[in-house]
Amino acid sequence: MSENILLKAEHIDKRFGITHAVNDVSININHGEIRALIGENGSGKSTFCQMLCGIYSIGGGTFTLDGQVMHVRNQVEANNLGVSIIVQEMGTLSGLSVAENIFLGHEEPFMHHGIKDTGAMNREAQKLLDSYGFGSIKAGNMIDNYNFEDRKLVEIVKATYMKPKILIVDETTTALSQNGRLELYKIMDAVRADGRSVIFISHDLAEILSHCDTISILRDGEYIDTVNAKDVNEDDLKRLMVGREIGSAYYRTDYGKPISEEVVLSVKNVTVPGQIQDVNFELHRGEILGFGGLSECGMHEIGKAVFGASWDRSGSVTLADGTEINSIPQAIKKSIAYASKDRDNESIILNESIRNNIVLPSLDDLANKHLLNGWKLSRFAQEFADKMQTKMQGIHQFVSDLSGGNKQKVVLARWLGKGSDILVLDSPTRGIDVKVKQAIYALMSELSAQGKSIIMISEEIPELLGMSDRILIMKDGKINGEFMRSESLNEEDLIAKMV
Amino acid sequence: MANTHHEDREPSGLAKFLASDTFKGLLPFIGLIIILVAMNYLTEGKIFQPKRVRLLLSQVYYPMIVATGVFFIMTLGSIDFTEGSTLGVASIVVSMLSFYSIPLAILGGILTGAAIGAINGFFHVKFKLQSFIVTICTMYLFRGVCAYLTTETAIPASAAIKALDSDNLKIAITVAVLVIAWFLFRFTRIGNDIKAVGSGETAARFSGVKTDKVKFLVFVAAGALTGLAAFVNVIKVGSITATAGNQLETQILISLVLGGLPITGGAKVRFSNIVVGTLMYTVLNNGLVMMGFESATQQLIKGIVFLIFVALTIDRKALKVIK
Repeated sequence: MSENILLKAEHIDKRFGITHAVNDVSININHGEIRALIGENGSGKSTFCQMLCGIYSIGGGTFTLDGQVMHVRNQVEANNLGVSIIVQEMGTLSGLSVAENIFLGHEEPFMHHGIKDTGAMNREAQKLLDSYGFGSIKAGNMIDNYNFEDRKLVEIVKATYMKPKILIVDETTTALSQNGRLELYKIMDAVRADGRSVIFISHDLAEILSHCDTISILRDGEYIDTVNAKDVNEDDLKRLMVGREIGSAYYRTDYGKPISEEVVLSVKNVTVPGQIQDVNFELHRGEILGFGGLSECGMHEIGKAVFGASWDRSGSVTLADGTEINSIPQAIKKSIAYASKDRDNESIILNESIRNNIVLPSLDDLANKHLLNGWKLSRFAQEFADKMQTKMQGIHQFVSDLSGGNKQKVVLARWLGKGSDILVLDSPTRGIDVKVKQAIYALMSELSAQGKSIIMISEEIPELLGMSDRILIMKDGKINGEFMRSESLNEEDLIAKMV
Repeated sequence: MANTHHEDREPSGLAKFLASDTFKGLLPFIGLIIILVAMNYLTEGKIFQPKRVRLLLSQVYYPMIVATGVFFIMTLGSIDFTEGSTLGVASIVVSMLSFYSIPLAILGGILTGAAIGAINGFFHVKFKLQSFIVTICTMYLFRGVCAYLTTETAIPASAAIKALDSDNLKIAITVAVLVIAWFLFRFTRIGNDIKAVGSGETAARFSGVKTDKVKFLVFVAAGALTGLAAFVNVIKVGSITATAGNQLETQILISLVLGGLPITGGAKVRFSNIVVGTLMYTVLNNGLVMMGFESATQQLIKGIVFLIFVALTIDRKALKVIK
């Protein structure tokens, strides 16, 4: 067994300020293994991998690769030792060609007396792209000419052409379409067949179970266990990640609840050029109305249109009392809340405290004759941060320090505080772990029971099926299908209307 | 998965304290004390003789009023280079009107400043131009206007306005400006909104902040304050030449940064930045003059001090292009 070990991680440790991100983690990875690393947001899995590939300095402990202790100071050095990573975010550099991106940091073979042989580099890059079956991407073109998915494919080539001993795939699949995913799985399988190894990070448990050999679980920075993929199911993994039983009440379980006749919001002939076309729908009291579709179908713009945030919108968004919503301040005043898909830019101010984020939309309500009382604001922020069970050091902590799930809790806390009656939630559980997801679903059910109405825009079909009273499917900027909540409704029904 | 960008190394007690926001908040005060002590020592106590102190304070009033307006602009994450030329043009207006009526002169100065601020704000907000670009252009424009109006001769102010020159009046105006501004900044929605725009403009807009309106108003208000400062300037100097307010913009910028204002603006600004910074700059400036440095050497030393302070106080997390 021991001679088969490719990577030995011993007592790896890392702190950020007072956060103990990775706490004394020891893991062995064998030759020819695809190892999944799972855990909730903030469990330390990305930090662990980023230490391995030189992005972060190692806080404590050692990585031993093929019997040699690694001392890497940056990503290029890690690359040269045989560790490469495909990251979650955009990992290619704008302003460079595809070939220059692929050979970034490894230009030497193409350099003659300090002058780069662009032709040779492009030919070599094209050969690589063709060998991966990505021939439609041209090595000499600027990377900016390609969309997010193609750029991911370029990154895959960049990370794997040197045949790394360890390939780290950090939540890359969420950026890829089904085809892109299949390509990536193929590459992972090839790495394994070659006796090399993959570390695979994903929130998609089904994907992990079908493509990985073994699974290591981290929780709050600590190593929990390593299991064989064939011995466990999704529920086992959830339990290991969270440390307790995730009940069956993940989604709603009720069916047949009638939707109220009372219309709280009606959208008529709304068009946003290039996004949505002539959209009409009504939102009822206490209803959870789901919007689904492919990522370019325009559903995300629906949220902005309802919130008065669209540029150049025509048509009308009208409340029950006849008020037309045309601007964000007016929408907020009229009790509409909006949680954007682009959480870090549109939903919260990252470089601000939790307190100031929570009170911001409610300042007018909290002011006494236009005067703000700092103590009152703090009490308000504390109340709703606590209500959402936000994991924080205190309300004066900056939001930028929080994990994705906790950021979303801050977003929801501010709208709970505002007491909004209509909530527009775009991708409410995007990039969020199971425990927080469950809390958000419970909150949605509770709000709906109180008579508040929710528009939930989601790219996750199970979430649409599990939470919505009614589902509208969009395609090419138009509503293409309507479904009522039902036990018999399944994913295929929705997909048929999406494509 | 931790998305923190804190220091990499294990924090030891002192290192942790030096990197903390508490320390960064204290830094300007520590700097002020160091500069006071150093200047006292280097000038053998001369700088703190009563008549020197009065002279020193007389140089503080109008920059402090101007700095208050710029403080709000920089809190937005924007920048303004027009203070000097605005002060020049507004001073000319104040001087000319001072022959008719003092209140009219004050009003004229404020309106002139507000109008220039409105021009800056309009181009910045409506055309989405960076304030950096807009105000550099308008700086030259109004410096030109100022030079044109004073080509023939310096513009004198009336004897009536010069007769107002008293420390009490200048102190009263400065204190009133500071108190009102502090109150707005600390206890009202507009103060909060300005900080929110500085910390994250898009998110602020999605939180119901009328970002364009806030930005425009701040530029107008800052211009108006410079216009008010022009009145204080006129009662002190009595006649306006082409160089009135020259280099004031850099002086204010250096003062605010010395006072600990992060040039990225946003959540970490402190109102005390204005007072501490302006005092520090003035003491430093006077000390250097009294120590007999040539003006070239003075600039060199100021440049070095400025660089050190920017490096120490800048918020690297929020670092991006100035709006």
